[in-house]
Amino acid sequence: MKFINQLLDQYRPLFHKGGKYEKLYPLFEATETFFFNPPHVTITSPHIRDSLDLKRMMILVFMALLPPFLFGIYNAGYQSNIVSHISPTFFGNLFMGLYIVLPIVIVSYGVGLFWEILFASIRGHDISEGFFVTGLLFPMTLPPTISLWQVAVGISFGVVIGKEIFGGTGRNFLNPALTARAFLFFAYPSSMSGDHVWRVIQSQTNQMTDAITAATPLSCAMPIELTGSIASILNDYGYSFTRLLFGCHPGSIGETSAFLCYLGAIFLIITGIGSYRIIIGGIIGALFTGYLFNSLYSIGLSPWFSLPPLYHLVMGGFALGIVYMATDPVSAPGIEHVKWIYGFAIGALTVCIRVVNPAYPEGVMLAILFMNIFAPLLDYIAIQITLRKRVPNV
Amino acid sequence: MNELHIKKGWTPKIEGAPSLELDDSPNPLNVALIPETIPYIKPKLRVKEGDHVQIGSVLFIDKRNPEIQFLSPGCGSIDKIVFGNRRVIQAIIIKLDQKETFQSFQTITENELDALDRDTLIRMLISGGVWPYIRALPFRDIASPTAKPPSIIVNLLTREPFQPNPEVYLKGNKDMFMFGMHVLQKISNNKVMVYTSPDNPFVTKVFSDVITHKISGPYPLDDPGVFLYHVKQSSDDNRSWFINGQDVIFIAKLLLEGKYPIERIVSVAGTGSRFKKHIRTRLGVPLSHICKHAALLQDIRTIVGGVFTGYKTSLDSYLGFYDTSVMLVPEGNEPELFGFLRLGYSKPTHSRTFFSVFNRSPKEIDCNLHGCQRACVNCGFCVSICAVDILPQFLMKSILAGDTQEALMHGLLDCAECGLCTYVCPSKISLHQIIQTAKRNYYLET
Repeated sequence: MKFINQLLDQYRPLFHKGGKYEKLYPLFEATETFFFNPPHVTITSPHIRDSLDLKRMMILVFMALLPPFLFGIYNAGYQSNIVSHISPTFFGNLFMGLYIVLPIVIVSYGVGLFWEILFASIRGHDISEGFFVTGLLFPMTLPPTISLWQVAVGISFGVVIGKEIFGGTGRNFLNPALTARAFLFFAYPSSMSGDHVWRVIQSQTNQMTDAITAATPLSCAMPIELTGSIASILNDYGYSFTRLLFGCHPGSIGETSAFLCYLGAIFLIITGIGSYRIIIGGIIGALFTGYLFNSLYSIGLSPWFSLPPLYHLVMGGFALGIVYMATDPVSAPGIEHVKWIYGFAIGALTVCIRVVNPAYPEGVMLAILFMNIFAPLLDYIAIQITLRKRVPNV
Repeated sequence: MNELHIKKGWTPKIEGAPSLELDDSPNPLNVALIPETIPYIKPKLRVKEGDHVQIGSVLFIDKRNPEIQFLSPGCGSIDKIVFGNRRVIQAIIIKLDQKETFQSFQTITENELDALDRDTLIRMLISGGVWPYIRALPFRDIASPTAKPPSIIVNLLTREPFQPNPEVYLKGNKDMFMFGMHVLQKISNNKVMVYTSPDNPFVTKVFSDVITHKISGPYPLDDPGVFLYHVKQSSDDNRSWFINGQDVIFIAKLLLEGKYPIERIVSVAGTGSRFKKHIRTRLGVPLSHICKHAALLQDIRTIVGGVFTGYKTSLDSYLGFYDTSVMLVPEGNEPELFGFLRLGYSKPTHSRTFFSVFNRSPKEIDCNLHGCQRACVNCGFCVSICAVDILPQFLMKSILAGDTQEALMHGLLDCAECGLCTYVCPSKISLHQIIQTAKRNYYLET
């Protein structure tokens, strides 16, 4: 501890005003506060402050993200080994997963941090800890086959257009990680969707295995000529409810294990960092809309209409989205009661997009971005109603 | 008696609470009046260095309303008048005589009080120097003698760590307090609201005749602004006056004894203090005379008032006109390795993000910021804690955007300036200071 302190003290003058690397002060500050809670004291009243700071908050979100992320690493390796005809062993899967996922995460953090530091240096503010979450969330929404340059382009778009041009953290009305994903989704659809992107085929195996497709649960439910209940179709593909819940199936890196995402949700709710209103509202919204579509189902309609609503909660990225993306406080509404509506609408819209629009098998990304845009309006209406109740004091 | 429960707010469990024991402190060598700590006033001196004053002689008046006068808390010669930047009067220090004499004021009895008319009574309070204890919401300036208040609020409870317990200053002073209440009823046309909380059995029992509201709830319930917010019927009530429980006794003392009341009961507390108790002392006493630092290794901050609303000073200073408590709190200006990863079993926090949620014992506090300033992420912690239902983050944004109209709509003037929003803010934004400044500026402009 002494050693780090001395080292920091030694280089401090270089980064302060007038120092050689004055412009890089945010980088120094970020490093310093990573090691130490700074000795800053309060100047005015209140003289005492809560021990909770943004860093702690973001670290807890990060910790909640780790289980689905680690499982995502394992699963990426597992899927890759299966498709490459390598017998899956625990460590084999893990190392393969790390080999696939780590570069993506490193590029996401590296490129994203570059933009963060650049903007922080120019604007002269500190680097916000929110990026630790964005930088990890973004790779979790990507298919494991994504090229690294696409990761770099995506995170650049997410950080710069999704956040920094509006003034940085706290002023972005869209979730930066989802903005990045949406950009890639529309700019490079063939790398982001379809049946071929979800498993990495290792080079030493025959390229012909490319013909083996890996339909995600969402895309295998697409063909409309199929008859019979959709749950049994999914079962035919090997996607039973429990398998979907625990997540040993192809998909984006971090989205497959709904179970671990909901475990993260419980952690976020207990610590009071994630809004339970949004998460529970979202689940209710998805279930309600799912039942609604069930009741509308008749022969000739897409089999999606008949999907048991609980499946919506475990398929695709719904769990990841509603737990970690929708609860991003900056892009969510600020009024507590409105968060119910916001969450409900995200759940309902996700199911609507999945069921009604055959072009997009996955709806949660669009649903959250759509509701991000509506969050300020919802806030505005709620504030007008709340303020009307006040006894005026002018 | 109306009963009410206020849910929002928070009373932190803090180590270093004062005991109910009351000690007498010996007479100091000098006392002082510090005009700086009286909000809004523009003091104009009526004495100069070397003058001899009695207890109750006029030291300075308020230029805005020359009737309002501030009296000397001691008898002796003016030792020094300390000026700050732009000749702000910081302190008027009086070297006390061995034997002190009092300026005498007119006394009245209970029966005479009934016959007295309101204006004469107010004149008596003004000339006796106790009028400034009555202040007007929402700006908390000294009440205007010509205005008629919708009501006068008296609080008989304590929440903020750590103000003197009403039980200590009320014990044995029942008659005085009742006489003071009588005076207030006269001034406000029988519209005095006295509130306390059920957790104070002594006060609720002994003063049950005058208590109008029994309210339970966490800090900042002791703030009259919070009380008013929850009981007001119409916007006319916003301009209510308020006075502290202890100050009611001063009013009574002045009228009954004919002397300027200088006795104060002050709580001395905090982990940095050598003793934690109530002390009977006098107005303007040097702080070093009534409290001493504990032998701690750390720096210690001297806070006059509570930890949420008090102001920072040093032990070389003096007890101000309105002040009734001194807190000595460690500065905590030391770095902590990997602070954000700690389990935090003994970290004080309002959130549920540390293991201290399982630790119900009082926590040790310090003045560390516990983080660095960041942008507002709209987490809503401030909204969940605000006792007057303001949306502090939206209010802050409207203030910073310069939209006063919007800020007023949001309840700018309802803000009790309790400081809880700033306390809980994980981005360490001084919401309370931004709101307070806006409120002050609005007052000075209108």
